[in-house]
Amino acid sequence: MSVDLVYPPPNISPKTALQISQRAPQVLKSSSQTLPFPLSLLSGDDTPEKWTTYENLFVSCLRTGDDKSARQILDKLLRRFGDKNERVMAYQGMMAEANAETEQEAIKMLREYGEELESDPTNLPIQKRRIALLTSMGKIQEAISMLGDLLVISPTDAEAWAELSDLYFGQSLYDQATFCLEEVLLVMPNAWNMHARLAEVIYLSTIATSSDKPGDLLRGLAESMRRYCRSVELCNNYLRGYYGLKVVRPSLLPKAPKSEKNTPDAAYSDLPLPTLSTVERLHELATAKLGEIVRKSAAGEKGWEGYDGAETIAARELLDRDTKSISS
Amino acid sequence: MGQPVVQTIHRDPALFYWILLPITVVMILTGILRHYATVLLQTTPKKQTLGKIREHRSLMRGVHLRTNANVISPSAFESRKAYLVSGYKDGSFLADPEGRGKAPPNPMSDPAMMEGMMGMMKGNVAMMVPQTLIMGWINAFFSGFVISKSSHHCLLVKLPFPLTPQFKAMLQSGVGTRDLDVRWVSSLSWYFLTLFGLQPVYQFILGSDNAANQMAQQMAQMNPAAGGLGAGNDPDKLFLSEAENLEVIEHDYILKGIEERLLASLA
Repeated sequence: MSVDLVYPPPNISPKTALQISQRAPQVLKSSSQTLPFPLSLLSGDDTPEKWTTYENLFVSCLRTGDDKSARQILDKLLRRFGDKNERVMAYQGMMAEANAETEQEAIKMLREYGEELESDPTNLPIQKRRIALLTSMGKIQEAISMLGDLLVISPTDAEAWAELSDLYFGQSLYDQATFCLEEVLLVMPNAWNMHARLAEVIYLSTIATSSDKPGDLLRGLAESMRRYCRSVELCNNYLRGYYGLKVVRPSLLPKAPKSEKNTPDAAYSDLPLPTLSTVERLHELATAKLGEIVRKSAAGEKGWEGYDGAETIAARELLDRDTKSISS
Repeated sequence: MGQPVVQTIHRDPALFYWILLPITVVMILTGILRHYATVLLQTTPKKQTLGKIREHRSLMRGVHLRTNANVISPSAFESRKAYLVSGYKDGSFLADPEGRGKAPPNPMSDPAMMEGMMGMMKGNVAMMVPQTLIMGWINAFFSGFVISKSSHHCLLVKLPFPLTPQFKAMLQSGVGTRDLDVRWVSSLSWYFLTLFGLQPVYQFILGSDNAANQMAQQMAQMNPAAGGLGAGNDPDKLFLSEAENLEVIEHDYILKGIEERLLASLA
């Protein structure tokens, strides 16, 4: 399977990353065969696509440890954009981070980033590198506060909001994580994976914090279920969305009202609670869809091969658990 | 009325090789030259200050909240709205909170604005100078071919299809004969045709985002303020109007009735 280097897929798996980085020498070789000077003016290969390809190659090369190709690509980027370019500075930092082996070297990198930011506080790529380095060093609190500062300057940065949400989630600060994910959704309202992620956070926080308050519990579960619904409405074959619908159901089912009329007071909830029959029908739909996804992706049918292996295994296991509880 | 007399003009076949091709080649080369001249003349856009970035993106946040309000719950929306509206009204997102209410500075005195205008000037110069030069060159160089007494412009090609007289101005500019068949094209007109028709050639040679074409540049000059805060606009006024927009918005939660929607569409 070949990967488009200009628009690579999100969440590149280690295998794909290796495939990409193995193409690096070939791409580097083909681009070095340019015409001599006066003729080279007649062939404009200085396209944005070319440099995007280089950037993607660079990241994959660093990931797979192909430092030689990464160095070559970085040199090309340096020659083209100079060492004052913000993105190039960030890539140089990445290269140095990849080669930093000891704690001291990482701390030295942090200090360098700090100096660069002091001379130019608007350098967002470097700021993000510093946060990423702090996260990987385990200094989550510092990373969170710096990310907060970054988002005060640039509150429309969905990537930064998502990262902050993950950091908060790792610290079990569920309300903050929810808030950040809502901000992500405000920037990109149709990102179904973000809807599903928000549903997951809401579900886990509800289970963790309000299991002794039945009203809050019910509301959180209903909210989570509806978020999952939204994510599969946006992407009709989204595995995580259906998986979530199935996971939410057992805790929601015993408390769901029988009919619309005896839903608890809507005042403390944004929406009335879903009825028992709705929950059941959604569960049927999710089961059917999950079964279809697992079957077709296992058979490797055309158009169904993009699913993550671990996710389909988990879905199969969830379905098996169902059949066992019915048969026993 | 009888059949109109078929006009035959005897012209040297060498005209084709010595005028038509040179003009075309020269036009292509000028385009390439213009591309590189524009690239060289380009100044890197000046860096915005931290406050300006914050001001702009805070405004964008309000716009996002307004357009995508329905994806978040009413309570989440209300709290965000309250925060942004009060911030907008207090001017706490402004890059220069002290300068509120003052008249916007004269764009001529602002060095950043001047730089932008210089950039525009450079683009204009890179476009106008070669155009003028080449037109003069063609006029001076290729107009000596006497074909008839009244016309001293060379006629290059005869188009293989008939045209209405309205095309005369386009195809025979500079030729003072009323009765000449419109299918004859003069050198000056050939210049204009290539001027506007060479874009695909440039795309082939230089890639899709070249600066060789003057049409694209003219388009860009039509709305110079596209993207970013409009030049000369008072950010405080923009904030206040955005606050007003946010206050009147009607919230319709997207998760309302989602189960039925989903079941109806999928089951």
